[in-house]
Amino acid sequence: MHEHVYDVFARKSRGDPLAHIGYVDALDDETARVYAWKTYDEEHWFEMCVVRRSAIIPVNREDGPFAGGGSEKP
Amino acid sequence: MTEKPGPEDTTLDAPTHSALKRLVVSLADSKRLMGIRYSDWLLGAPSIETGIAASSMAQDEWGHARLLYAMLKDLGADPLEAEHTRPMEAYASVDVLDAPFGDWAAVVAGMVLADGAITVALDAFCKGSFDPACSRIPKMLAEEEFHRSLGDAWYRRLAGCGSTEATELLRGATERMLPPLLRWLAADDQIEALATAGFTAPGDAQVAAFRDAVRDVVAGVGVDVDAVRIREDAWDPSRGRGPGHPDADAVERARGDRNRALFVE
Repeated sequence: MHEHVYDVFARKSRGDPLAHIGYVDALDDETARVYAWKTYDEEHWFEMCVVRRSAIIPVNREDGPFAGGGSEKP
Repeated sequence: MTEKPGPEDTTLDAPTHSALKRLVVSLADSKRLMGIRYSDWLLGAPSIETGIAASSMAQDEWGHARLLYAMLKDLGADPLEAEHTRPMEAYASVDVLDAPFGDWAAVVAGMVLADGAITVALDAFCKGSFDPACSRIPKMLAEEEFHRSLGDAWYRRLAGCGSTEATELLRGATERMLPPLLRWLAADDQIEALATAGFTAPGDAQVAAFRDAVRDVVAGVGVDVDAVRIREDAWDPSRGRGPGHPDADAVERARGDRNRALFVE
């Protein structure tokens, strides 16, 4: 079974900026949700979301961690 | 408005009081055993993330168990005694948790079916008129949403991965678990008496809710949950489950036998 890299973003409070806090490898969007919530549970997050890395479009770098089409881990 | 029983309540008749206590113990024991079965897979799950999720779910289940055991206080019983001193023969956990899950497919089936059935029973109890359940169970149900998401996703993935072995293991575990779980939810006269008194939902309503919750998922391995008959074999009314009990190792862990000398309350 093939897994995808999902980047995890979260904020502690409503007004905080959304920060990249890590990533998980997951089978699909649903498992990514659960893995992210269960893995990065050291804070009482106000909001958390996951994005499949392959869906991220690099803007100014072609050698950054998000430029590999989802295969490269930071 | 119906008066809700609380810590000072003395209005319950003896049979209702006993049935309510049995329901609380059954749910608490099931949560504790569910946690142990998840904890068996902290290492050895298919990925690190899955192991972390299993660890977190094990902790969730033990937290839920602790809250449920604490409700015994509201019924005039000692939670510490229930948690730490009962023999394995007294455990009222749902039958399918008596032995460890043998493989990952069984864990996934357990996540969807065993944890799912316990959640249906909790939901019914939460919507009843026992105040401690109404106030403490909603947070458990919110946490269970993640268990269900993970279980459903893994079940669908295994069912559709094209591996005959995976499908067969999943179907086998599903067919083993469904009859006793349906029996557990259908329950007996004591649950019906509690339902009549407004403390939970009738057994047939809980069975219907469970079938609705798992129908689409188990169809993925060709199981028709509506065609599965409720097992009608031996029943232990004192515990609200079939005969037998969890294995000795699980009960020793549940009671904390090996750490008794270090016990801190």
